[in-house]
Amino acid sequence: MINAKAIHKRFGTVKALKGIDLDIKEGELYGLLGPNGAGKTTTINILSTLLKPDNGSVFINGLDILKNPVSSKKNIGIVPQEVALYEDLSALDNLLFWGGLYGNPASQIRSRANEMLRLFGLSDRRNDTIKKYSGGMKRRINIASALLHNPKVLFMDEPTVGIDPQSRNKIYEVIGQLHSNGLTIIYTTHYMEEVEKLCERVGIIDYGEIIAEGTVEELRNRSNTTSIINVALENPGNANLKDLQKSFETVEVDQNNQLVFRCKDSDKKLSGIVKYMDQHNLMISSIDVKKASLENIFLELTGRKLRD
Amino acid sequence: MLQIALKDLKLFLKDIKAFILVMILPIALVTLFTLAYGGMGSSSGDSSPIAIAASDLDSTSTSISTMQKIDSLKGLKLKHMDIGSAKNRVINGSETAVLVFYKGFQDSVDKGADPPMELFFDRSQEMEVNILQQALIGNLTGILGSKNMENKVHTMIDKQYADLDESTRKMIHSQVSEGFKGNDEEFSSSPEAALKMTGLVGEEKTNWGMLQAVAGVAVMMLLFSVAGMSGTILSEREEGTLKRLLYSPIHPNSILFSKMIYAMFVAIIQLIILFIFSWLVFDLDILTNPLGLIIMIVTTAFACTSFGIFLASISQTRKQAESLSTIVILIMSAIGGSMIPTFIMPSFMQKISVASVNYWSIQGFFDIFGRNMATVKILPEAGMLLLIGGIMTGISLFRFRKHVLKVV
Repeated sequence: MINAKAIHKRFGTVKALKGIDLDIKEGELYGLLGPNGAGKTTTINILSTLLKPDNGSVFINGLDILKNPVSSKKNIGIVPQEVALYEDLSALDNLLFWGGLYGNPASQIRSRANEMLRLFGLSDRRNDTIKKYSGGMKRRINIASALLHNPKVLFMDEPTVGIDPQSRNKIYEVIGQLHSNGLTIIYTTHYMEEVEKLCERVGIIDYGEIIAEGTVEELRNRSNTTSIINVALENPGNANLKDLQKSFETVEVDQNNQLVFRCKDSDKKLSGIVKYMDQHNLMISSIDVKKASLENIFLELTGRKLRD
Repeated sequence: MLQIALKDLKLFLKDIKAFILVMILPIALVTLFTLAYGGMGSSSGDSSPIAIAASDLDSTSTSISTMQKIDSLKGLKLKHMDIGSAKNRVINGSETAVLVFYKGFQDSVDKGADPPMELFFDRSQEMEVNILQQALIGNLTGILGSKNMENKVHTMIDKQYADLDESTRKMIHSQVSEGFKGNDEEFSSSPEAALKMTGLVGEEKTNWGMLQAVAGVAVMMLLFSVAGMSGTILSEREEGTLKRLLYSPIHPNSILFSKMIYAMFVAIIQLIILFIFSWLVFDLDILTNPLGLIIMIVTTAFACTSFGIFLASISQTRKQAESLSTIVILIMSAIGGSMIPTFIMPSFMQKISVASVNYWSIQGFFDIFGRNMATVKILPEAGMLLLIGGIMTGISLFRFRKHVLKVV
């Protein structure tokens, strides 16, 4: 559905994108992760025809978007990061307006707008002005506004920033529904758990390059960290971190004074840890073994936390 | 408390453009009004005289010398031409008035009778003509009054002392004439120099002050309102909806044109309401030339809208556009005749005024309501408004594509 090859973009002396390749299949829900300034938004802006790349090609639904930007736009729906709605218009009027820009018949737009209001659970508030909506409700209409023309591809740029859990769950539910209906979705977010929960495939972008791509499981397997072992000690004061680090390279102490071990093979590592504790008279009060999260993988790959 | 005030002051000073505008606006307006009001009666010598056409049909030494004396006055300037073309120039608005000395001017002066002279004028320039009339009468009585009085004294002496010998009579006449020399002011109370005033164009019943107020304020307020409406494109950029519009398949230029259509529609409605109000309350005859009025309303709305869009296109933010609009519109309205009639301005300001939307709109509405011009006669004004609007739109399109529409 989306095929981008060797996209380069430079802003003055800053190389924003250094040869991005993307191959996203029809119906796929693809997560694009990266810290601020990594190139996520520039990539989305190029894929959505808002920005022209310096080099490279982009095809969406078989159409060269650089040669056919207007036709391509009809295949694309975009949920911008900011709530881009007219506050003094009602939800329905906003939907009718945004839907009307794509040249579809008015009756079709109205029926689609009502369908969207139902889908997002806002039918009973359709005539309220947007300024009366909560942040979460605005976010829902923000997404609905991108779906009125039945796009084949939906770009979602951090659609759940700063909203209440109820609205967030509703949005997850709708995204799941849209995905199951076969819509291709490119999702950028700061929330790792969203990507883990929603996306089939993830691309991690940093300094204008895709540095890793695959399913969350594939990325985890490729990483040096597949598991996290948390060990709480009854006598943590007796533990010597330097000595521990000689035996286990990837160990650190977290804010709860627990020892955190990152490892590839948790079973093997676990026996080594228990043995070490026993030899050094360190009393284990609890051990917790978890799969490495995307956050851990991201940190390992980029050396940065996602919110940096 | 002081801390908050200092913080606000710091923020205010950080916005250098806003700061400069706030400081420049009063200076600019004070300068402008000083120049405008200094345009007449100033002792600086920079004032611009009122220029009127003149036609001397008598062509005698008295008529010629009177014309020369008027021409040498500080506040008046005569442009000599034949009566036919002078009248035409008044009718088509090129001249405010034409002063005509008819055949028999000298004879009448010599006889002490009212000299035949007439001032044909454009009623639409009522305020200017009033000032002109006062200035002419005041000076003509000064110039002609003493001559007139001298002739009357000679006649009286001849009548009263008919039996005087010729040499004594000549000596007395000579002494009387000598006594009148250089004493124009002493005899300036003579009413004989009163001019016959004839309006060549425009209806007598027209309330020109009202028309000046309606046309002038209408254009100025229109500029303010459309500038605000055009500035919504900057709000859209700030609120993110412009970016969303650019995601859609509509052409970027269409966004600008749609803003213009919206502003122009509101502008037309605003003008229509204002003229209907003026018709109902001030008895302005808006049905005198409906086609001409429609043309003027549409072209004025177009020029004002283009100007508003232009102001938005050269601004970075809505706030900046608002500050810029205030200063530019106030200055343009002052120069263009919305606040002060252009005739009282110095000549260089009158020349600048033709570059304003206000000037051409006001002149167009004067042509319709005051001069009762045919539709074809208002086409130059309408054309100028279209030209100004076209240029502004062209620049705005360029600026928008290059700066405003770049939201990424």
